[in-house]
Amino acid sequence: MTKKKAIAMPFNWIFAIIAGGFILFFAVFSAGKFIRTSEQVIYTETAASLVSLFDPLETGLASGKSSEIIFKKKSKIFLDCDENSNKPFGKQTIRFTEQTFGDEYGETGQPITIKDKYVFSDNVIEGKEMYYFTKPFFAGFKVNDLLIIYSNQNNYCVYNANEDFQGDIEGLNLKNIHFPNKTDICNGVEICFGGVGGRKCDIKVFEDQNYVLKNGRKLYYVNDLIYGAVFSSSEIYECNVKRIKSRFNELAQIYLDKIEIIERKNCEPKLGPKLAVLIGENIRNSNDLLLFNEKIKEINEINQRAKDGCKVYYNINWER
Amino acid sequence: MKPRKNKSKEKLPKSEFLKKAQLEIQEMAFMLLAVFLFFVLVGMFVLTIVYSNLNQDAARIAEERTLSAVVSLADSPELSCIAAKSNCIDGDKLITMIRKESYQDFWPFSSLKVIKSSGFGKNEEELIKCNFANYPDCDLFVVYDKNVENERAIGSYVAFCRKEYENGYTFDKCELAKIIGGTELKTKG
Repeated sequence: MTKKKAIAMPFNWIFAIIAGGFILFFAVFSAGKFIRTSEQVIYTETAASLVSLFDPLETGLASGKSSEIIFKKKSKIFLDCDENSNKPFGKQTIRFTEQTFGDEYGETGQPITIKDKYVFSDNVIEGKEMYYFTKPFFAGFKVNDLLIIYSNQNNYCVYNANEDFQGDIEGLNLKNIHFPNKTDICNGVEICFGGVGGRKCDIKVFEDQNYVLKNGRKLYYVNDLIYGAVFSSSEIYECNVKRIKSRFNELAQIYLDKIEIIERKNCEPKLGPKLAVLIGENIRNSNDLLLFNEKIKEINEINQRAKDGCKVYYNINWER
Repeated sequence: MKPRKNKSKEKLPKSEFLKKAQLEIQEMAFMLLAVFLFFVLVGMFVLTIVYSNLNQDAARIAEERTLSAVVSLADSPELSCIAAKSNCIDGDKLITMIRKESYQDFWPFSSLKVIKSSGFGKNEEELIKCNFANYPDCDLFVVYDKNVENERAIGSYVAFCRKEYENGYTFDKCELAKIIGGTELKTKG
């Protein structure tokens, strides 16, 4: 009888411990999973909200706009670009995460797709404050706004900048971009226009040849694309250049159709054939932008010669 | 002193004892199952609430995005006026957009329409849809419509300008219009 009792009691306990342990493990596992999922949901929502914040920065008639985002915790934004999906416009994706415990970052939220914006930045932006500004891009007519983002962790020291560049940056009241004299002390990413002797420049701008030299790669630019070339990674820059050409093609088609409409109103626009040819031209990389821009200038001259009231497009901030 | 023993168990025959042990195990198993099911049900209830909020949040974010996009849409290169006017759409560009399908997946709207002032106050059936043949004597431009089941529309008033030719002059003729962007709501209600 004593033996029977010794067996009966431990069995109940063992059974309860195993079952209880299983339930506890399941509860802890579920709670952990739930917390991680909730975090991801918040990060995904944040990324989606960020995209909404970019809309008011459409330049319209302005020559540029700027703003900033301040996060509660140190955060990371991951950007990606793919010119081949979402034809014909391509797309970018944005993912968000923030610091959880210590210096650890949580798993990023789901990627949010950006189809109607052209975001130029590093592939990963890290910091508690993010600064962003927009500049319009014209290829004769306005094609899109260039949205440039950088964080408070990056300090830019710009040497020997031209008046337009310095004027634009100072006019937008952008933080963490400084224009020191040769003798001033400035710590950060060094951006050098022309030749600045004795400096180990991180980014070199060769205005006479229209390219920016960054990490050994030449990023060619025209007009305000210089900001994209300076502040973004080469992959994102080259991808966005191709996306911009795709948007140009769609807009050019709209203007070709518009020519048919305004021809009914006693107008005789003559830029149609040249514009149609330009739609078919491929841009393989930013180097092709230079030739593209020369052809755009020809088309623009034709548009400027049109009689008053019969211009196909208007470009107030192009080639200041 | 002798140790106390469980007299009731001592007295039970072997088969009775096994039956009782089985019963105890069954009771505990049922109890554990009930506790487990209870927590599963509570978990499901919590998840339902959380994910219904998630749907609401998704709809809210989509609506915010639509609102911010509608407000800035008039200044987009596809619609903006030829002359230096802000918040103004170019009718001559807009009419070319009605046959372009590529923009359906470009803007964050499930539908995009523009109603000219001539269409204000009219029923949807009374509105004259614009096409190349009847432009500009029409009311409604349907840039695209994905025909989603559950949609909320957000509108914004803009200037609507187009080229007009009169007495030997070509000039911009402007009137009021309303851009309407739709947001697809994933949950009904």
